[in-house]
Amino acid sequence: MKGILSSIVDGKGFDIALVALPLTFLVTLSGLPLIYNVLMSFQQVDLFSLGTFWRPFVGLKNYAELFAQPETWPIFANTAIFVVSSIVGQFLIGFGLALFFWTNFPGASWLRGLFLVSWVMPGLVVGAIWNWILSGDFGVLNFLLRESGLTNGNIFWRSDPNYSLWGVIVANIWFGTSFNMILLSVGLSAIPSDLYEAAELDGANAWQRFRTITLPMMRSSIGALMALGLIFTLQQFDLFAAITNGGPNNSSNVAQYWAWELSFRQYDFAKGATVSVIMIVFVILASIVYVRSTRHEVRR
Amino acid sequence: MGIHKYSLLGGAFALACVLGLYAPAQAEDVTITVWSQDRDVRPAPNLVADYNKLNTGIKVEYREVPFDDLVNEALRAYSTGQAPDIIAVDNPEHALFASRGAFLDLTDMIAKSTVIKPENYFPGPLASTMWKDRHYGVPKATNTIALYYNKDMFKAKGLDPDRPPQTWAELVDAARKLTDPAANVYGIAFSAKASEEGTFQFLPWAQMAGATYENINTDGAVKALELWKTFLDERLASPDTLTRGQSDSTGTFNSGNAAMAISGPWELDRMVAEAKFDWGVTLLPVPEEGAERSSSMGDFNWAIFSSTKHPDEAFKVLEYFVSQDDRMFGDFGLLPARADIAVAETGQPLKDAALKVFVEQLKYAKPRGPHPEWPKISKAIQDAIQSALTGQMSSKEALDQAAKKIKAVLG
Repeated sequence: MKGILSSIVDGKGFDIALVALPLTFLVTLSGLPLIYNVLMSFQQVDLFSLGTFWRPFVGLKNYAELFAQPETWPIFANTAIFVVSSIVGQFLIGFGLALFFWTNFPGASWLRGLFLVSWVMPGLVVGAIWNWILSGDFGVLNFLLRESGLTNGNIFWRSDPNYSLWGVIVANIWFGTSFNMILLSVGLSAIPSDLYEAAELDGANAWQRFRTITLPMMRSSIGALMALGLIFTLQQFDLFAAITNGGPNNSSNVAQYWAWELSFRQYDFAKGATVSVIMIVFVILASIVYVRSTRHEVRR
Repeated sequence: MGIHKYSLLGGAFALACVLGLYAPAQAEDVTITVWSQDRDVRPAPNLVADYNKLNTGIKVEYREVPFDDLVNEALRAYSTGQAPDIIAVDNPEHALFASRGAFLDLTDMIAKSTVIKPENYFPGPLASTMWKDRHYGVPKATNTIALYYNKDMFKAKGLDPDRPPQTWAELVDAARKLTDPAANVYGIAFSAKASEEGTFQFLPWAQMAGATYENINTDGAVKALELWKTFLDERLASPDTLTRGQSDSTGTFNSGNAAMAISGPWELDRMVAEAKFDWGVTLLPVPEEGAERSSSMGDFNWAIFSSTKHPDEAFKVLEYFVSQDDRMFGDFGLLPARADIAVAETGQPLKDAALKVFVEQLKYAKPRGPHPEWPKISKAIQDAIQSALTGQMSSKEALDQAAKKIKAVLG
């Protein structure tokens, strides 16, 4: 507080300007829509009152109605399964690949670059491709599973309620793995190699070195990745639109797709906003956990 | 006298000059904007360009809005006072706008019009433009669904290719005979997707058996849903029917992986180009011989926004569009929504035969709704279809739940 005051008093205010600029940007582009969204979830929003700001206030009616719908809890459960499985899958495979390329065999960096191709592809393209791969009758995935003897019949990934969500999760893991790999590769290359040399001299085996050096040194990278993973998976919309449309019978519906469906398919903008607000609450909770878990590193 | 004559001429000349200078400028003040999802080969942009060539003093501007954004864009534009004068809107969404006074009531204008005559239209498309017995638009084009079947496969399986299934029992029977898992052939292809496409495909079956959207849990509707369940449970149709749109489903028919398909005339051109077999089209089979027919009805309607500053000019433009309805099929490949226009022969025998069936089927086509909350009603029906077909509920339970949801919407 004193610092801010003195910077105003000494007439420069440059640091304030530095903070104010991005802050204004954030408030106008993220803050206001967010507040508008929260407000909308407490209002009775009608197709034709969409353009106005003052609408009848209905309190918690939208929330009460939402939780009275039979599909609400299954959809939130699906969202949790989708987020956790996607993050875990992307992270484990991404970490495995990062460690693999870290061994620096000839052509490793070149191959690693190629992996990024999946990350730069538009989500709808990825969705369309996976739509074909997962197709029940003529899909490549079923062909591979059948030919390798893992299954003896076709699995209808998109249309069997037991598999539909997992079909999208598999596609999303594929989509996000390369990003995880690159971020983890950066973290790995930042670990000083003399630490490993010293540990090796002390007689630590590969697993011990990984557990006592690699993991602790990667802590902030992993933390950042988890936070980003949460955001990216909660944003994942294209794959649902392209592969299952949330079907069959909502078995692969998740909150983010449902919010869109309520707003722009059923024109129930208040309910769509309500679902978004619930998602925001979860994201805030998760970010608190993240900030707390990495707090000591920030102070270091 | 002579002088008088000349001065009169001069005056007239001066007047003509003034008019000549000002008339076009004044006329240019009237600009009518038209929005639709039509791209280059479809009617709207072409009709607009043709109209502008007529130099009537009304200038028409066209904007193409993608299908997925059309309603949202239009609503936003309307609520901020920026709505276009004329819009082409998907028929189940017409009531949404009409019921809220967003569309201009054209009843009186149509009564005086020499071009737009309600009696010329098929009843289904016309009904979709109406709200509380008033006209809020005119049908732009129309389509419906019927049963495509592969005559070669019919022959191969000992079925009569000139006598396609006419009743539900015959349809199931034919599907059973035609299904050939070893050859990757399903008996029938259709779409039960969790979107408007699913509702579009299911409603006719329920309607043929006497149900309506207001009354969706009747015994007839349960029977219709059971029919669909038979197709899926016995693997007469691909399980991906649940997540595949009409276009992809019909694609499996074109490639010879389904012996029958339920789809609309929009597939005709693709089928002529792709299908390497002899095929035909027949009316949707009915529950039993002599039962009432029904079909679904698609495509767009024209409407004028009530916020327009030039209702008369907008109506003139609309009249021009309607006057060109006879070009609808020949030039743009869409079926006119009018019973008084004979669809011209194309010279493609398979296509011409199919068209006759579609035009016949149009007589039984019913609009979805009209109801301003149609998307919610539709979603309840989609959920019922999908929970029954995946075996999570019985057909009766699923439709009971849908009826409950629809009742809540209808109030």
